[in-house]
Amino acid sequence: MSSREYFIRRTTICIVTIFAVIVINFFLFRIMPSNPVDILISPLMGQEKMGPEVREALMRDLGLDKPLYIQFFVYLKNVFTLNFGLSFVSPRPVAKIIRERLVNTLVLMLSGNILSVLIAVVLGVIAAWKRGSKTDIASLISALTLTSMPMFWVGGIILLVFSVRLDLFPMYGTVRIGYSHPNLISYLSDYLHHLTLPMITMALVSFGGLFLIMRNSLLDVFSEDYILTGKAIGLSERTIIFKNALKNAMLPLITIIAIRLGFMIGGSLLTETVFAWPGLGYTIYQAVEYRDYPVLQGAFLIITIIVVISNFIAELVYGYVDPRVRTGANRST
Amino acid sequence: MAISRTDLLKRRATDFLGQFKESKLGLVGVLILCIFLFTSIFANQLSDFPIKATQGNLRDRFMPPNNKYLLGTDDVGRDILTLIMYGGRISLLIGFLAAAISGGIGTAIGLAAGYFGGWKEEILMRITDIMLVIPGLPLMIVLAAILGTSFWNIIFVISIIGWTGTARVVRAQVLSLKERAFIESSKAIGASDLRIIGVHLLPNVLPLIVAQMVLRIGSSILSEASLSFLGLGDPLSVSWGMILHWAFSSGSLSSNYWWFIVPPGICITLVALGFTFIGTALDQIVNPRLRRR
Repeated sequence: MSSREYFIRRTTICIVTIFAVIVINFFLFRIMPSNPVDILISPLMGQEKMGPEVREALMRDLGLDKPLYIQFFVYLKNVFTLNFGLSFVSPRPVAKIIRERLVNTLVLMLSGNILSVLIAVVLGVIAAWKRGSKTDIASLISALTLTSMPMFWVGGIILLVFSVRLDLFPMYGTVRIGYSHPNLISYLSDYLHHLTLPMITMALVSFGGLFLIMRNSLLDVFSEDYILTGKAIGLSERTIIFKNALKNAMLPLITIIAIRLGFMIGGSLLTETVFAWPGLGYTIYQAVEYRDYPVLQGAFLIITIIVVISNFIAELVYGYVDPRVRTGANRST
Repeated sequence: MAISRTDLLKRRATDFLGQFKESKLGLVGVLILCIFLFTSIFANQLSDFPIKATQGNLRDRFMPPNNKYLLGTDDVGRDILTLIMYGGRISLLIGFLAAAISGGIGTAIGLAAGYFGGWKEEILMRITDIMLVIPGLPLMIVLAAILGTSFWNIIFVISIIGWTGTARVVRAQVLSLKERAFIESSKAIGASDLRIIGVHLLPNVLPLIVAQMVLRIGSSILSEASLSFLGLGDPLSVSWGMILHWAFSSGSLSSNYWWFIVPPGICITLVALGFTFIGTALDQIVNPRLRRR
């Protein structure tokens, strides 16, 4: 496959996937066992009774009186103009809520995962190079144990120890509530203080999987001929690891991070919920709690599209740096 | 004279057991699993404390571990050790059922894609890719929120996102089996597609499927715990995830009632770890791609 064909094929797949995601998202919220109209409308009514004429007016407003295919086209248009309707709970545009919360999720995911990647790479190198050593076995078992822990429970234990018992960090939120910060530095340090525990949780949650994959791909690299040659001609361990092996093992890391992004988002959702960290994940949790379907639908769509596009970019980058991917050598994967 | 089919199976089984005994981690996994199966199955013999929320002793609520309640009590005065033993039943059951169903879906899709090839394969694998790229937990949450929370809905929601791995592994294996001579000769003598798939392909990919399923049990138990924690569990069945949900929602975290939070999490971790150990040990034996290592 030439790079042009590869690019066209990946782009087509990406567009088809995004379209499929939009279709799934549209129908999911209309296949509900009870009458979808009732579920989309009823939370609006609150406790008071609503007359049939109000109900009809609302249905007309939401476009639910039209045939399904017209509803779909309206939905499609709304998605492309980023119009996800109003939240049931507070009458604010869903797109605005999502935009506000997205920043906090990105901060949490980036900081936590950078920390996690750093530790996973360092430990992965040590473990793979000294395969079968005590360090290798110990890090292998702790990685497996970490991946077996319920993520929200890890956050809960960290909160219990460092916040409740030792009182070192705040329990929830991004900044102190009801306190006006005199300057930016004071605001940022307060934000970082709040970020510490969720970030550590996020890092612990994604460390296990990253370490296992890193160790595996390094084991592959270390068994390659050029590493053996390096050893034979007397290069130092340091040169072999950092100049030859790590460079080649970092390649798969790009795809691994993209593929695991969906998983990381799950981890972020649970971490945010435990620490009441107002990101997209916490928004989804709250939307479920209040049955706020427009917010749930909008947040789910945005998260999914972000993951699809990140995967697409990772595939392009990977195809660019490693031509074997393009030439169809990995047809079976 | 050719050896009979049963002899062959027997030899394979002894072979397999011999290899499995080599794996220390696999044996640790079996041991963990046996302990939890025992306490779950005999929960009603091992404890006489009630598990219904209405039967708790409200005067004894939130008691730390003591001689009467070995692991303390919860927010309605139930014995936590008893809850955990009963919780194991539901957690393990959901894990087994969800893994079996997702294994079934994955096997069917993987076999069909690998065997038929062409546009059928293209469509099935594109669907698999789309499922793979949609973030699992958010999808489970959306589905659970829409379908409502019940025992079977939870299992359905976990199964529907968990089949992609099996589908890919099965397809890859079928692709390499398809080239072998015995499939060619079955086709030549006019065996039907169904017969080739059922009699020749399935038995050959079955060990791989079992290994995948065992690995799925642990992650299904973890998924159930996450859904329950988020308030999407079945409120009528006591699972380890539900116990943690009650612990978090009763404010036990900020009140430092650690005995309500720590034990259920340890149980989930141990069981998930046990299944990972067993599954990895099985995979090492049966997966030709891993045998090298």
